[in-house]
Amino acid sequence: MDILEEITEILTEILDIENHIITPETYLIRELEAESIDLLELAVAINSRFNIDVNDDEIFLRKLRDYITEAELQNKDILQYLAENLSFLSRKRLEEIIEDRKGGPTLKVKDLISYIGNRSRLSVYGSRFFIELCKPKAF
Amino acid sequence: MKFSGNKALLLGGSCDLAITLARRMIEAGLSPILTYRNEKGRKYISKNLKDCPKKYSSFYLEFGNRDSIDLLLHQTGDDIDFVVDFAQGNFESLVAAADADRVYSYFAENVSFRAEVLKKIARIMMKKKSGRFVFISSSAAKRQNPGQGFYAAAKLASEAIYKNLGLELGNHGITTVTLRPGYIDSGRGKKFIQDHVKKVIDKVPIKKALTKKEVAEAILFYLSNSATGFNATEISMDGGLTAGK
Repeated sequence: MDILEEITEILTEILDIENHIITPETYLIRELEAESIDLLELAVAINSRFNIDVNDDEIFLRKLRDYITEAELQNKDILQYLAENLSFLSRKRLEEIIEDRKGGPTLKVKDLISYIGNRSRLSVYGSRFFIELCKPKAF
Repeated sequence: MKFSGNKALLLGGSCDLAITLARRMIEAGLSPILTYRNEKGRKYISKNLKDCPKKYSSFYLEFGNRDSIDLLLHQTGDDIDFVVDFAQGNFESLVAAADADRVYSYFAENVSFRAEVLKKIARIMMKKKSGRFVFISSSAAKRQNPGQGFYAAAKLASEAIYKNLGLELGNHGITTVTLRPGYIDSGRGKKFIQDHVKKVIDKVPIKKALTKKEVAEAILFYLSNSATGFNATEISMDGGLTAGK
């Protein structure tokens, strides 16, 4: 089962939306009407299913508006600033988000997929790094 | 009494009341996990439960030390069904005389840290779709004496966090209750009662202080299946102390 299938299964259960076709382009809040308690359940399920630490603010893009405001106040390039703070999203996706943000919450299923992919890689890297650290050193 | 679960985490587990409860839990077939914040606490638990080896466990958790939360949860194997929260630092000072740094650190340790602990444990319980919290507050949350302002404020803030947890996750099988005991012939209250026996007894309509066993029994009841209807609420157990003028 790939990440999209897993997320679809989780969302279907949490939001009780058996007949809704979920794609990477599906909006979680705008379209599926996920509420804060649903997102909490989703974070717990992702943590459990993919065995990764989930930072709710990051995965659900909760600080997006704050980052944009900060970039504007500091006269920084918004895209660059978002890329630094939401590094699990591609620049192409960040451009989309900037364009789309006036239409409401921009969070899409593909953002979750990016986050999980990014965290899983970090987790694997972390484990390897830990194993390396534990290896006896030759003197 | 019947219980939905077995593993009970006792925060602030080295106090007399927690040890009395742990003993009662073992009798009831539960597995208590007591937390201590230093070596003295670990030894105290070990000494007082030495006749129940392998029926309980004890782990380090220091309020204010955020790394100790993850360590504790790792040691418990992310398996917790119940939480009884006795942990509370003491801080007595008149408001106008309080050291500002101490005030900041007191609330960080006793409110913010507690919120982080609850967040992490609630997420573990959400996976099981079941969990029960009992927060041991104090009659001081309802009626404090001079010098108890910060203690009472921290208790009230923590009560509010527990209440919201029960409100937000009740439909996920996770519920909370706050118990506000009055004078207990145990721990910090014991010396006060011994020093002011007549004054204390006169104030309490039932004319006696609570015993550790009475409070432990009540906590056990609030953890049981019979008490699931109590959620997101505070219950006074003070012999009527705070009911009148």
